[in-house]
Amino acid sequence: MSLRAAGPPIAVGLAGLALWEATVRLGRVASYVLPAPSAIADQFWASRAVVLSAGLASGTNALIGLLAGSVLGVLVALAVSRLRLLSEVSVPLAALVNALPIIALAPVLNNMFDAASSVPRRIVVGLVAFFPVFVNTLRGLRQVQPIHQELMASYAAGGWTFARLVRLPGALPFVFTGLRQASSLAVIAAVVAEYFGGLQDGLGARITSAASLTAYPRAWAFVVGACLLGLVFYLTTLLLERLAMPWRTRISP
Amino acid sequence: MRRRLAAAAALTGAALLISACGTADAEPDGGDATGGTATVKVQLQWFFQAQFAGYIAAVEQGFYAEEGLDVELIEGGVDIVPQTVLAQGQADYAIAWVPKALASREQGAQITDVGQIFARSGTYQVAFADSGISGPADLRGKKVGNWGFGNEFELFAAMTQAGLDPGSDVTLVQQQFDMQALLRGDIDAAQAMSYNEYAQLLEAENPDTGELYTPEDFTVLDWNEVGTAMLQDAIWADTSKLDDPAYQEQTVKFLTGTIKGWAYCRDNPEECRDLSVAAGSTLGASHQLWQVNEVNKLIWPSSGGIGLIDEADWARTVELSLATKNQDGQTVLTAEPEGLAYTNDYINQALEAAAADGVDVTGSGFTPLTVTLNPGGA
Repeated sequence: MSLRAAGPPIAVGLAGLALWEATVRLGRVASYVLPAPSAIADQFWASRAVVLSAGLASGTNALIGLLAGSVLGVLVALAVSRLRLLSEVSVPLAALVNALPIIALAPVLNNMFDAASSVPRRIVVGLVAFFPVFVNTLRGLRQVQPIHQELMASYAAGGWTFARLVRLPGALPFVFTGLRQASSLAVIAAVVAEYFGGLQDGLGARITSAASLTAYPRAWAFVVGACLLGLVFYLTTLLLERLAMPWRTRISP
Repeated sequence: MRRRLAAAAALTGAALLISACGTADAEPDGGDATGGTATVKVQLQWFFQAQFAGYIAAVEQGFYAEEGLDVELIEGGVDIVPQTVLAQGQADYAIAWVPKALASREQGAQITDVGQIFARSGTYQVAFADSGISGPADLRGKKVGNWGFGNEFELFAAMTQAGLDPGSDVTLVQQQFDMQALLRGDIDAAQAMSYNEYAQLLEAENPDTGELYTPEDFTVLDWNEVGTAMLQDAIWADTSKLDDPAYQEQTVKFLTGTIKGWAYCRDNPEECRDLSVAAGSTLGASHQLWQVNEVNKLIWPSSGGIGLIDEADWARTVELSLATKNQDGQTVLTAEPEGLAYTNDYINQALEAAAADGVDVTGSGFTPLTVTLNPGGA
């Protein structure tokens, strides 16, 4: 993104922050309703070490869940795309998994597994990440051009060779579309899953704890931390996409 | 350019909306000009249960009505912060723990403790008797459950006192509001209220014996004994409205009715159990009778009269709030409370009024019941 293109959004963002600050100061909004950006920035800086360690804890859960969910999504898509019957039942089934609300899932998983471990949270993230990767990959795998298919058939290529050389590379743009969606969702899921108990080591636990003491500037500081974590995940995925597909220079979604 | 202007206008509009619904300025209150029955909204800090039996009884037995008040009790929940509801003018009074309410005051919530109903802390840390945990120092290296939401500072104070850093010497685990994590062994010690979660343990079946667990199966760390107890259920009023004679009068009336309600539950625990169950408490009748009885122990006997704020207890609560650090090094308060954080003016008038009506406001002859819990609290 050029400097010219980045200018307007940055200007609008800064103007918004200034307006927010002015509203809180001039309108004297109680800080338990809406803290000023300057108060949030102060808290963010004062708590930077905690934001980092909590971000690492939530980020680890998000990363492990994202990797597991994505690998599973690609593998299931590969299997399903080979079998027509499976393919017909799998998409509604996956949609069902996707419709499971985190707030229903997290407490159940906390009860099923050791509540003092990170396993339930990682499973929540994995399930959330699975759906976009699976659906997009499946769509990509079905877009194999007939001429490629015929070529591989003429070589008498096996199923895995065909998948590795033709179907997966062809589906790569779609896989990354799914990954991009999943990366942000993974962070959201990891933070929200912490609202339902378990280890008090992440950003979500900090947000609820600060909010319950009416320490809203601190709560917002951790929200900013969660936003930054989501951004890191998203940008990393964009970077990987670019590295994996250097022939595609377009990076904006 | 036009688009940018529109965006700016939209932002301004949103900002104005936000400022309109929550200014820090006191809003003029019309009060009750007609002189008839005044409607009073009270925000509880949790679901209907015997923890609030005195208020429920005062409504159902007509003690508030005798004072000319039509009291509406509003149920709380996990995400409801009663003192914020009060400060935003959505309730006339709120029931909240003192440290949390003081934290909200420090953030600008204009509220005052006008009646300290619970004189003692009901919070325990419970472990299995064979866990080797017999004091706060034994929590080192253990998985220590707590609820978060600001309910954990007595525990942190006890750990700090025992030389433990809550951030590094223990593994903190946020519990659900049941005791499954302790019973399953996921955590080594769990937070429990004497009147609620502790009873849930004694209502659960021990898989080894097929019988219910007994108190002998557990070790209880009681913060009243450890010395880190902080004041809990208090009645909070709107500080800015306390200048208004009508609100002052209403506060005394509300406290008078409340005193009568709690005295009724002391003398008639079974009736208050039934009222709590009828109000919609989810756990069963034996659990609610246990709860009435345990809550009575937190109130009675009350040497100065129910609701009177003891200065030493208050000072200890403030001191612990200032000194106790959580796992991130933050304290509940950063400075001594400013302004009218508490006052005994109204509770003293209410105690006089209730005593004049023949109510025993100290309960010096109070003896608790022995309650038998049934499986699952039924």
